[in-house]
Amino acid sequence: MRMWVYIVRRVLLMIPVIVGVMTITFVLTNALGTTQRIETFIGPSKNGYAPQLKCDPANTSPNAPMCANPAYTRAIHALGLDKPAPYQWGVYIYNSLTLNWGNTSKSSDASQLYGITTSTSVITVLSWYLPYTLELAAISLLIILALAIPIGNYSAVYRNRPFDQAARVISFSGYAFPTFLLALLILLAATQASGGFVATCNGGSDAFNSWFGSWPSYNCLPSGSYPNWMGSQNHFHTTPTGFPTVDAVLNGNSYLAWESFKRMILPALVIAFSAIAGILRFVRNSMLEVMNLDFIRTARSKGVPEKQVVRRHAGRNSLNVTVTVLGLTFAGFIGGFPIIEDVFGLTGVGNLLVQSVKQPLDYGLVFGTTLLFTIIVVVANIIVDVLYAYLDPRVRLG
Amino acid sequence: MATAPPPGTAPPPAKALSSGKRPSPRIAQIKRTFYFLRRNTLAIIGLAILLFLVSIAVGSFFYNAPSDQLATYCGTDTGNGVLLSNGSNAAGCNAVVCTYPYDQPAPQPNCFPVDPNQVSVLPPTASLAHGLGPFPFGSLTTTADTNEFFNLFAGMVKGAPWSLGISAIVVISGSMIGLFLGATAGYLGGYADESIMRLTDVFLAIPGLLLLIVILSTAGALFPGFYGHLEILLIAFIITDWPIYTRIVRSQVLVTREQKFVEASRASGAGTFRILRRHIIPNSLYPMFVQMSLDIGTIPLGLATLVFLGFSIFPHVNFPEWGSITAQSVEILSSTLQYCQENSACLFPWWQFFIPGTALFLFAISVSFFSDGLRDALDPRLRR
Repeated sequence: MRMWVYIVRRVLLMIPVIVGVMTITFVLTNALGTTQRIETFIGPSKNGYAPQLKCDPANTSPNAPMCANPAYTRAIHALGLDKPAPYQWGVYIYNSLTLNWGNTSKSSDASQLYGITTSTSVITVLSWYLPYTLELAAISLLIILALAIPIGNYSAVYRNRPFDQAARVISFSGYAFPTFLLALLILLAATQASGGFVATCNGGSDAFNSWFGSWPSYNCLPSGSYPNWMGSQNHFHTTPTGFPTVDAVLNGNSYLAWESFKRMILPALVIAFSAIAGILRFVRNSMLEVMNLDFIRTARSKGVPEKQVVRRHAGRNSLNVTVTVLGLTFAGFIGGFPIIEDVFGLTGVGNLLVQSVKQPLDYGLVFGTTLLFTIIVVVANIIVDVLYAYLDPRVRLG
Repeated sequence: MATAPPPGTAPPPAKALSSGKRPSPRIAQIKRTFYFLRRNTLAIIGLAILLFLVSIAVGSFFYNAPSDQLATYCGTDTGNGVLLSNGSNAAGCNAVVCTYPYDQPAPQPNCFPVDPNQVSVLPPTASLAHGLGPFPFGSLTTTADTNEFFNLFAGMVKGAPWSLGISAIVVISGSMIGLFLGATAGYLGGYADESIMRLTDVFLAIPGLLLLIVILSTAGALFPGFYGHLEILLIAFIITDWPIYTRIVRSQVLVTREQKFVEASRASGAGTFRILRRHIIPNSLYPMFVQMSLDIGTIPLGLATLVFLGFSIFPHVNFPEWGSITAQSVEILSSTLQYCQENSACLFPWWQFFIPGTALFLFAISVSFFSDGLRDALDPRLRR
C-alpha cells in the first residue's frame, strides 16, 4: 500500500519539473519574432502572417493604406500575444500540458526528408518516430547492463590489476572519443568491409544491408515492397503499436522483424560503448565500498569460497547502486541519440531533431523534441526510483 | 598499479614525524596525496599527457603559423572529393594557391607540389620543406563547403590554447555559479534551498546536448549579430554546466554544516558569511574538483558535436579549435572514401580526423584518469 502512495507522490512531483522545462522553452520562444512564434504554434499560413496586408492589391504605391490581416489578429489573440507575459506563459503551459505542441514547418529539412508535405501537428509527427527511439534505447540499455555489471564487479575485485586497468581504459575511450566520429568510422568500416557504397541506401550496399539490416531506414527498401501495415515510404509509422520490430512480429513478418532488429544492433553497440564508462565507474566504486564492509569479512572468515562472496554477497548488494546510477546517467545516455540516429540514418526522434536544426530551423520540432526527450528522462528517473525502493526495502518511502 | 611500495620508502607522514621539523599540515597533506597518486600508474600517465597538452598550448604563443592566421589555400570540390586546383582561384577564397605537379620543378617560390591524381594530399616530402610540419601533421585539411584548405599542424598548435581555454572558462564559471548557489541552498535551507534545487532539477532534466541546441538555435534569432560567436557559445555551455555543481556542492554542504567545528564557530559568534567562507566552502570543494576534471574534457567534444550538427559556431570556418577541426574533417569523409573506391589512385586522408580526434581523446582521457587518481588519493577509505 505504501508503495502506491510513494509512486503517486513521485508522479505528482514530476509535474513541477515538467512545467519548469516548459517555462524554459517558453522563455526561449520569446526570443523569436512574433511571426515566427505564430508560425511555430499555429502552423504557416498560406499567405504568410504578415502583420498587415495592403487593402487594395492594385494600389502598388508604398504609401497605400494597410489593413489588418485577419489570420494574424486571430493568432495574436489565440496565443495571448497582446497580453502581458504571465498570461502568455499561462497559455503556453496550458497548450503544452494538453499536448498542443505547435505545428511543423513544411519547408524545413525535417519535413522534406520525411515527406511531410502539409503542416502537421508536432505531437503527431513525434508519435511516428518515438517508438523507434524507445526500441533503440531498450536494446542499448540491455547491452550496457549486460556488460557493465559483470565487468564492474570484476574490476573492483581485481582492483588496479591489468584487467581493471584495461576495462577502465577501454570504457573511458568510449567516453573520451567524439561519438559522431566513432559512429561514422564504424559505419564506414562496416560499409567498406561489406563491399563499398551504393548511393541509394544510406551509403550502404546490398552486402551491407544483408549484414546490418535494411529496414526501417527511409530509403533502404525497394519501393513497392511495403506491406500495408507499414505506413508511408518516408515515415514508417507501423500499425498497430508503432514499434517497428514488435509490429513486424505481430503481423507475422519475421523477415522484416529480423531486418529491423539487425538495423539497430550496430547503433546500439556504439551508444553502449560511448555511455558505458559512467555506469561502469559507479558499479566499480559501489562494489569497492561493499567489498570493504563487515559482512564480507564475516563471510570470508566463515570460509565461504571467494567466488561465492563476490557473486552472492557483494554482487547483489552493489546492484542497488547500479539501478540508481542508471537514473542519473540516463539524461547523458539519451542525449547521445540524435548523433547516432543521424549518422546511421535511423528514423527516430533524435534524427528528427538533427534535421530540424538545419537552416531554415523548424522551431516547432526543435522545442517539441526537447520537451519529449526531457519527459522521457523524467519518467525514466521515476521508474528507476520506484525500482530502487522495490529492490532495497531499507529505502524510506517517505 | 597497486604494487607494494619499494622497500625503504615509507609514506611521508611517518617520515614527517621521525624528523625533528614538522612541515606545515597543508604541505604534508599535499605530499601525502602525491605519494598515493604516484602509486597509480594511470593517474601519472594522465598527468603527463595533460602537462604535454598544456605545454603545447603555452608553446603555441611562440609559434608563427605560416600565414597571418592559419595558412589558407584554395582548391575545387569535384563533388567526389576535393582536388587541389592548379593555380586557379576558387570563389570565396582569400588566398591564391599556386600548385604544380610534384615531379616537375617549381615555377616560383611558395608554390605547393601536389599529386594531381590523388585527393587532397601533399607528397610526404613537400610538407616539411614548406614549413608545414612533418607528414602527416603538415598535410592540408579541407573543409566540405568552402573548398578551403588549411594547415593541420598550424591548426592543431594554434587550436590548443583555444580548446583548453574554452574548456577551462566554461568549467570554472559553471562551478563558481554552482558553488555559490549550492552553498547558499545547503546552508540556508528552507525556501532558498527549495527554490534553488527545483530550478536545478529542471535544468538537470534536460539532456545537455539538447539544451545546448535549443539555446543556440534561439540565440540566433535573439542576437542576429552575435550568431555563432564565442560569447553565445560560452554562455550556452555555462547554462548547461552549472546545475550538476549546485547539486554536488549542496549535498556536501549539508554534510559539512552538521560538523562540530562549524557548531563551535557559530558558538563563538561567527557570522553566516564567515562560516561559509572559512569553514563550509573549503570543506566542500573536493567533490566539485573531481566533477570539474571530469567535465573539462567533454567541453571540446560537445563543441565538436555542435559543429558536426551544422551550427556555424565561429565567425570564420577555419577557426583553430580541435573540436571544430574534427567535425569539419569528418564531413567529406564518406564522399572521399567513395571517390577513392572509384579511382584506385587515391590516398585516404586518415590524418584529417585521426590527429584532431586523438587530441580530443587524449585531453578527455587524461583529465579523467588524473581526476580518478586524485579522488582515490584524497579519499582515505579508498587508499587501503
